[in-house]
Amino acid sequence: MQRRIPVVAVAVLTLLAALPVATAQAQLKGEYKIGVLEPLTGPLSSEGKRHLAGYEIMRDLINARGGVMGKKLTFAIADIPNPTAAASEANRLIAREGVKILTGSFSSTLCGAASEAAARHNVIYWESSCVDPRFTRRGLKTTFRTEIDGIGFGWYQVEFAVKYVAPRLGKKPSELRVVFLSEDSSYGQGATEAARARAKKEFGMQELAAEYYNFQTINDFTPILIKFKQLNPDILFGISRNNDAILLWKQAKEQSFVPKAVITAGATGFGSPDFGKALGNDGNGPFALLEPGPGFKVDGLRPEGREIEAAFRAAVQKATGSYPLGGHQLAAGGLWLLKLVLDKAGTDELGAFRKAVFALDMPVGSLVNGWGAKFDETGQNSNDRVQHYMLQWQNGELVTVWPEQFTTNRTKWLPLPAWDQRK
Amino acid sequence: MRRHAGAIVLFGLAAVAPLATRDAYFLDTIVLILMWGAISSAWNVAGGYAGQVSLGHAAFFGIGAYSAAVLTVHWSLSPWIGLGLGMALSVVAGLVIGYLSNRLRGPYFVLATIAFAQVLLIAASRWREMTMGSEGIPVPFKQGFWTLGLASKVSWLYLTLAFALVLYLVQVYLEVSRMGYQLAGVREDEDAAQALGIPGRRLKVIAIAMSAALTSAGGTFWAQYVGFVDPFYVFSIDLSVLFALNAIIGGAGTALGPFLGSILITSLEHYLRATLSDIAPGLIGVHLIIYGCLLIVMVRFVPQGLIGALGALFIRRARTARGERLART
Amino acid sequence: MAALPQLVVSTLLLGGIYALIAVGLTLIFGIMRVVNFAHGEFLMLGMYLAFWAFALWHLDPYVVLVIALPVFFAVGLLSYWLVMQGVIKASHNVQIFTTVGLSIALQNAALVLWTGDYRFVRPWHASEVVRLGGAALNLSQIVAFAVAVAFTGGLMAFMKFTQAGRVMRATAEDREAATLMGIDTERVYRLAWTIGIVCVGVAGVLLSPVYTVYPQAGLQFVLLAYVVVVLGGLGDMRGALFGSLIVAAVETVGAYTLGIAWKEVLYFVLFILVLVFRPAGLFGQRGAETLGM
Repeated sequence: MQRRIPVVAVAVLTLLAALPVATAQAQLKGEYKIGVLEPLTGPLSSEGKRHLAGYEIMRDLINARGGVMGKKLTFAIADIPNPTAAASEANRLIAREGVKILTGSFSSTLCGAASEAAARHNVIYWESSCVDPRFTRRGLKTTFRTEIDGIGFGWYQVEFAVKYVAPRLGKKPSELRVVFLSEDSSYGQGATEAARARAKKEFGMQELAAEYYNFQTINDFTPILIKFKQLNPDILFGISRNNDAILLWKQAKEQSFVPKAVITAGATGFGSPDFGKALGNDGNGPFALLEPGPGFKVDGLRPEGREIEAAFRAAVQKATGSYPLGGHQLAAGGLWLLKLVLDKAGTDELGAFRKAVFALDMPVGSLVNGWGAKFDETGQNSNDRVQHYMLQWQNGELVTVWPEQFTTNRTKWLPLPAWDQRK
Repeated sequence: MRRHAGAIVLFGLAAVAPLATRDAYFLDTIVLILMWGAISSAWNVAGGYAGQVSLGHAAFFGIGAYSAAVLTVHWSLSPWIGLGLGMALSVVAGLVIGYLSNRLRGPYFVLATIAFAQVLLIAASRWREMTMGSEGIPVPFKQGFWTLGLASKVSWLYLTLAFALVLYLVQVYLEVSRMGYQLAGVREDEDAAQALGIPGRRLKVIAIAMSAALTSAGGTFWAQYVGFVDPFYVFSIDLSVLFALNAIIGGAGTALGPFLGSILITSLEHYLRATLSDIAPGLIGVHLIIYGCLLIVMVRFVPQGLIGALGALFIRRARTARGERLART
Repeated sequence: MAALPQLVVSTLLLGGIYALIAVGLTLIFGIMRVVNFAHGEFLMLGMYLAFWAFALWHLDPYVVLVIALPVFFAVGLLSYWLVMQGVIKASHNVQIFTTVGLSIALQNAALVLWTGDYRFVRPWHASEVVRLGGAALNLSQIVAFAVAVAFTGGLMAFMKFTQAGRVMRATAEDREAATLMGIDTERVYRLAWTIGIVCVGVAGVLLSPVYTVYPQAGLQFVLLAYVVVVLGGLGDMRGALFGSLIVAAVETVGAYTLGIAWKEVLYFVLFILVLVFRPAGLFGQRGAETLGM
């Protein structure tokens, strides 16, 4: 019965499968194309689009400054909502668009798969934002990361608690009573475990509790807040994703939960502009580790960094009406550094490119965001060069407060007063 | 031989594709078509042939992906051993699901399978010592067949082709064997089959366990191919839906159906994503709207799948054939 | 046990939120036997309705409720007519994948139309807190809870005292008998679907001040709502309310005692146990689960 049908079906569908073959585009003359991979659909799309916007703004600034290797910089953009798509789209950009460099990708589960695919083609993978510490430790010669990793996030959170918060609470680090509350994706677990380890081993802080939740399904923090309230910690450390931070803080107010300080990290959750938008003055007080924000002294930068930082801020202001956000800054910082490396190497050939990367030795303040650069042999930029800043929510705005020599703003509300006294 | 003409064309074309092009993206698309097709075939063993529609097959896929990755990372064992371990674990998990299938029908069974996969997802994302938690496992790449470190897309193509062939043959076996006939009886009318002395419950459990083990094998191959095991993806409902979808779109309960479905869905997804994300970033997501609508239209108007739809093109032949068959019964 | 009053209050308020979503679902699942994977997307649409009304015309979500009723009545009818009507007699598989398709399409339509940005509806009552004997209650959640109880009561009365309701119950109990009795089952399904969608749309409006509005906002509630519905028994309004409270209690107490990481494991395990040992739900008719119809 119907014997010929499957044959016809296969033939028709094979034609369909061959459709994408027709779209190959190589590099054009006078242009230099790189691949940009970001999650543009699915639950990460909001942040992915922000990164993409950062790349595009910086690309235009680069082209206004002579492009890369004397050519106009262009993008081939791909949407990578999950690991299969990440690997597959990396393949596509390499095979079809002829790119020799890929950049992206915001999420740690995506950068792992995409960079693996790039490595099989010997294509450079220039990561600007994912934080999985293992990303650069797989022995891949093609992978580089401009941002610090999750361990760095945890490191900085504890650093701030020890150097800045503890003295102002009148306590030794070992006397600090701390709780951790983080989302349990790759990002939250990675950074939080690093912070826990450093807090306990290096400084002997007293960990009262460590809790993880799923940021996509959390819909009530009350039980955990009651528990924390009874524990009465000095510091709440956390990594959050977006809505979770807003709900957490809203319910913390309902429950009158008042830790002495809240120290978070990253451009999402407590570090996202949405936090201030949703909470207004109620959001005052928490700290978020980020790229520099308002109050950051541009004149403290080296001249070459000052020029591009000022131009970048103005361009973001023009495009979005606001100060650059974490997503913009990570993408732009990474891309600017890529331009410098490419200009110096004069080629995207891996050997010469690596040599140019490892030859970089730029002090803090030389780049966008006040970054410097010094890569280790795994392709990771170093913690102390990628200077991070502690920002605090003050009157609905996230402003730079630490390290104090880089900013005009000062910390407020430390220890945090009652909820109605944070105006 | 003629009833397998479709499969011969399909697998034959896949086999000669590397001779025509070395384009990595094209080969990657074929590898994924074969891989998703094979895993959907594994789903088909339970969902199509035994009529036990599950939306929790990502559970087995995840078990397979993790088994190999965990053994490699912690004890430097070959993924082939992990493949075996994953299949064994999945058989156990399949027995659990099989037990549920004997107590639950229709939507209840579907919901139970979803919950089952969710529990495994949470377990995998929390058991840090073994699974590295939510951070997932980057699968180490060591060149060689024993370590499943195949750098070239062509090798992957032939490996997945072999896997797909095995799955195709398993399904053909279910069509021609005694077990297959009995399963069909159970699927169409369980009580009647039971009355005829067919051990319906046991057959269903066996089918589900087989399906689980084969899905798990697919999970192992996928993890080695993509190189990163992320709990929130490998245990996701999206993947469970994809496995069922390919089979249903292509034609559930037919050996070639899952592959046809996979060709359509995979290539469409690749094609739409590639074209739309390039021309207009503002239109990103449109391909998923199209995908969703297509799904609604397909299951409504072509519920018997592509095989059935293309069959309608040959309506007269089909009708006479059906007439003959009806006359015989 | 100083925490006890707050735990009880939190359970009630969270249960109210679940009940709002579950009553519509239990109607659809109970009467049509359709697993509606797009339920969360209708919730999301309700939230967007509240957001746009608030952003464009500064309308309070409680005012928007009045608009939401006719809007979602229309959305319900339209989606039934366009999508569900054609598959109402088809197999479970076809119905399931139809709603999966609907879910994907709606979610991404929201993404394309309104972007993935997070949006907020923050009227004055969103941050208003009522303190009662050592427990804090969020005003928006109190209202949501009250509406949930009112809706459940209203639907129960509707099912019990109106002709349409009786017909719906008869259909839920035995499709074939209902058809034989001359009941127009298609009409019953259309009504069940539409009322179900109105319920969840209203739920979306009510939840907008409590949560964040974005294209995937409905996802987190869908599986949970099924746990509730199965626990409470198919098509049983009272069961949906109690099921919601039980799930909320498991979550709240579990999160407080074992840690927040365990709450989902707890309710999924509870779900599987109920499916295995008392699949008809705590209040539902026995035997429905093995008929599968």
